[in-house]
Amino acid sequence: MPLIPLSLARRLSPALQPLRRLCAGGWLREADVDLCLRLLHPALRLNRVYARVESRRWVADDMLAIQLRCNGNARGWRAGQHVQLYLQQDGVRHGRSYSLTSVAADGRIEVAIKRQPGGRLSNLLLDHLAVGQLIELGQAFGDFAWPQEPRAVLLLAAGSGITPLLGLLREALARGFSAPVTLLHQVRHRGQQAFAEELQALAARHANFQVQWAFSGEGERLSAERLAALPGEHVRVCGPRGFVEQACGGWHDAGRGGSLQSESFSPLPVLADAQARAIRLSFARSQQQVSGSSNASLLEQAEAAGLRPAHGCRQGICTSCTCLLLAGTVRDLRSGALFAEPNQPIRLCVSAPHGDVEIDL
Amino acid sequence: MTARLDRELNPAELEAFGQELDALRQRTLADLGEHDARYIRRVRSAVRLCCWSGRALLMLGWFPPTWLLGTFLLGLGKILENMELGHNVMHGQYDWMNDPEFSGRQYEWDIVGPADFWRHTHNHMHHTYTNVLGMDDDVGYGVVRLFPEQRWKPFYRWQPLWVTIQALLFQYAVAIQHLRLDKLAKGRISKEEVAPLARQFGAKLARQWGKDYLVFPLLALLLGANALAVLTGNLVANLLRNLWTFLVIFCGHFTEKAAVFAPEILQGETRGHWYLRQLRGSSNLSGGPLLHILTGNLSHQIEHHLFPDLPARRYAELAREVRLIAERYGQHYNCGTLWGQFATVLRRIWIYRLPSAGMA
Repeated sequence: MPLIPLSLARRLSPALQPLRRLCAGGWLREADVDLCLRLLHPALRLNRVYARVESRRWVADDMLAIQLRCNGNARGWRAGQHVQLYLQQDGVRHGRSYSLTSVAADGRIEVAIKRQPGGRLSNLLLDHLAVGQLIELGQAFGDFAWPQEPRAVLLLAAGSGITPLLGLLREALARGFSAPVTLLHQVRHRGQQAFAEELQALAARHANFQVQWAFSGEGERLSAERLAALPGEHVRVCGPRGFVEQACGGWHDAGRGGSLQSESFSPLPVLADAQARAIRLSFARSQQQVSGSSNASLLEQAEAAGLRPAHGCRQGICTSCTCLLLAGTVRDLRSGALFAEPNQPIRLCVSAPHGDVEIDL
Repeated sequence: MTARLDRELNPAELEAFGQELDALRQRTLADLGEHDARYIRRVRSAVRLCCWSGRALLMLGWFPPTWLLGTFLLGLGKILENMELGHNVMHGQYDWMNDPEFSGRQYEWDIVGPADFWRHTHNHMHHTYTNVLGMDDDVGYGVVRLFPEQRWKPFYRWQPLWVTIQALLFQYAVAIQHLRLDKLAKGRISKEEVAPLARQFGAKLARQWGKDYLVFPLLALLLGANALAVLTGNLVANLLRNLWTFLVIFCGHFTEKAAVFAPEILQGETRGHWYLRQLRGSSNLSGGPLLHILTGNLSHQIEHHLFPDLPARRYAELAREVRLIAERYGQHYNCGTLWGQFATVLRRIWIYRLPSAGMA
């Protein structure tokens, strides 16, 4: 039984500033301070974000919305951003990124988690994370945002790409956004229409909002014709890479103006070299030299060599795996851009060696 | 005095030797998990329990049973924190847990030497160039001549005295190693290069002294307890830790059968060579589980040097296999009791204080 309620623990957070300063200056050890704070409330921490599971609700056959209430350390979070959820398994703290479908001022947030067949973490979260349990989160990141101007907005989502868009949509409608908004959600089959009831209720309540679904399992994929028939000046796209590329391509080809913002998630788009080349990888700190390939990420190759670099999202987002490039050239797996500046921080999970490289790992 | 009877290995044997050790490392890495994570968390709990109960007991003043026990517990906590927790975590042995509280790059330990210094002088220089003369400053720390291969200087004549002072102030000796004051004195590096490091050291020193010798005695004053008893308890606890760490570390690489190497050995050194050099340059201490944990498992110095980033609690089981591999390749496996090994270290300190011993 916590000594103080979570709401009080949340309000306590600003008062901990002197302790934060002492920790930053090296006078106190954060882990020890956290141990004492946990006696007051198990979610209370100096800097790390912990949250209590408030409720769980299935919003599709394969998607669960989880309401969490954070301690006072979640700063500046916005719906539509993503956040890491951490779970421990076999002694390892694993993190996965999920979108914030809502953020309230009282620290209540919602994330929606889609079951990944064979996914280690999503299944643990879906099947074992119980109401009342505590879970660690990272800080939210991402710059997905609703258009500034009050012009017609088109939202294109595929699969779990609905989650950040729903976050933006809920907030915009609640704020009284009055220009037309159209949402197209493409899913494989009807059981995957996440948040369908809520979306229909929103459409009934707000005359300027309409929602459509496309079922790719029934052959209804987003085509150029369908895209042309959808109104909107500003477009926001989120989904798997293939969907996002097609939607953005169609948008550009049709010559439609306005702003376009898109986000795609795994599977990681490996911009493969024409052919994989053998590469010499040097890991300076661990004094290892291994032969690698120009087509796989440095994180995977370092792990294959037995190293255990810090890592988080493994998608180039969270910067947990940032490391210094000491020598050589690496290629960003997402963009194909080359980086060759010595002592430049690079993200191991989205960087592949372009030639022989040396890394401070 | 290189009393080792190692078989020289041909390149093919060296390659196979390296591969066997690599395979052993891979097997252990694949097996890391919950047990190792729980272990290091328990070690940290033990450290907290020892330090905090020790500090609480010291608040009771000079009353001998509580003062002695309090000082002993604080010293024990500091030893554990230094050896089994700090040293091992800072080697990145628990980085695989992906837990910021056990992250090798962020951990800061409870001694005057800043962790960043240690990560360079120890993790990088000492572990890469183990026992290579002129590269590994841990060979005598610049004040002791332990091997005939080290050039004699008149200064070494009184080295038993220098070693005694070093043992008493060991944490300071380790800290200033990184400042390269010897090079500064010879003009090989500039004051400007040393200044930022000196500031970093000064800041850490202020924090350590502030905590042990100011905050806790002042707290005692506030509580109406005996500040002098607290101050002395802290001093003695730090002294105990200095002496113990000195003992363990000198037994790691300077025993009778430990080898040193000329810098030329580094040219074209393969992974197999590196393993072999670590095996020949390190020495183990035999004993029970208590000895192993109090030395931070540096009693398995050989295994630590072969696999510095594997969790130290695995060294005991690794040692059995390493011993067999060493035997198979005709390499001496240097192991002895703590006092037996230390006696050979003292002998080295005594003998090599004189130049003539170098000629022999």
